Amino acid sequence: MRVFILCWEYPPRIIGGLARHVEGLSRALASLGNEVHVITLDFPGAPYEEHEGSLYIHRVPVSVPAPSFHSWVLLFNHFFEKRAGQLAHEYGAPDVLHIHDWLTVPAGVAAKHLLRTPLVMTFHSTEASRSSNSPSTESAMVEGLEWWGSFEAARVVAVSGWMKSEVLTRLRTPGEKIEQIPNAVEPLKFEGLVDVKAARARWNVGEGQRMITAVGRLTPQKGFDDLIRAYPTIRRAVPESRLVIVGDGHMRGELESLADREHVRDGTTFAGFIDDDELVAALRSSDVVVVPSRFEPFGIVALEAMAAGVPLVVSRVGGLAEIVEDSVDGIEVEPNNPSAIAAATVRILSDRELVSRLVTKGEEKVKSYSWENVAKRTLGVYQEAVKVTKYE
Amino acid sequence: MSEGAKVLLSTLMVLGAQSPQKALPIDELASKLGMGLPELQKELDRLTKAGYAVTTRQEGRVKVYLTGTGVITASSAYS
Repeated sequence: MRVFILCWEYPPRIIGGLARHVEGLSRALASLGNEVHVITLDFPGAPYEEHEGSLYIHRVPVSVPAPSFHSWVLLFNHFFEKRAGQLAHEYGAPDVLHIHDWLTVPAGVAAKHLLRTPLVMTFHSTEASRSSNSPSTESAMVEGLEWWGSFEAARVVAVSGWMKSEVLTRLRTPGEKIEQIPNAVEPLKFEGLVDVKAARARWNVGEGQRMITAVGRLTPQKGFDDLIRAYPTIRRAVPESRLVIVGDGHMRGELESLADREHVRDGTTFAGFIDDDELVAALRSSDVVVVPSRFEPFGIVALEAMAAGVPLVVSRVGGLAEIVEDSVDGIEVEPNNPSAIAAATVRILSDRELVSRLVTKGEEKVKSYSWENVAKRTLGVYQEAVKVTKYE
Repeated sequence: MSEGAKVLLSTLMVLGAQSPQKALPIDELASKLGMGLPELQKELDRLTKAGYAVTTRQEGRVKVYLTGTGVITASSAYS
């Protein structure tokens, strides 16, 4: 099959989970013999065109300024649409167009009708859950685009059961159109040698200290403020513990100030954005990974921690609650509850037998989340989309 | 991050200033945002210190553009 995938982020432009998902999926689709073209935004230092086997990455510059983020999104969609047209002319029309979240709906819908090609849309998140139901004109536009994309798509993919129910109830997409296909991890990525001592030293974790790691965008959704509020209690119980927060975002200054106010700034490292190799090193060097999210449609960090052989504490929300089985392959806590986060983290840091049990089960579980499986199931969705799409 | 810095970050992204070739003169930016130059300079200092933006002198004018980390941080508010 020839597939055009439209997504605003692709490594090294990694904003959230979409980039990793599209990278894993497109590589696996290409390795199964499909011709995959990813149309994405350009990024400082990244080449406009990349080609590896039958995987093609096309990074599109947006050469017209926009007055706001939302108008910029609409604008870059025109550039994506143009690139899709050029590629169809150059390589032949795609068998399927695949868009991810609201950000590429206009280009996907336009290309669908211009190229007479079936459209598939994957939901990684919805505006209603992201914006916590707070109404704004921008949110109304985003929700409208989500509905439009799901309406125009021949098939819709949801990355978790929670996401599927959101699409069913909020967008009223017919159930028979929706397929639930999870994210995955590349286990080989976690198998290489890691100089744990050197890695820990990079994040100010000394010998004999215990490393508590959290990974994600520094946004309210991720709940890192709750983890910082939990850390004084953790540190009283485990004085040799250190907290490492990996990621960046608008909340960084706020979180640093909170760590000051909680008197734990000296034990906390804000590592900022790190590349994939460093992420693997950080996870494999950790004694526990905490995912304190308030909302998480999937929660790929949980799978990555399992693949890295590290025990987990996660909030019982969205896709996270579907991945982790409480006290079997991780510990679940209620969201917005620093005391519960502290208790679960201390429990893991103090009980080696528990850690061994959780890690063994986690490593078993993560094997079922392979990109090859995801690609095969997605191909099934593409075939369905082709079957049900009729042009006169 | 201050509101001013957030707005500046987002504005640089939507105006396409993400390479030295696409750097924007800071006086033009101040005028677009309706900010005084000293105020803009203060916010820019914050962004450059955090590694989100780079200022450069080109053709006798001070210009600014986003780094990769700046682009990601600007985008992360909407993801």
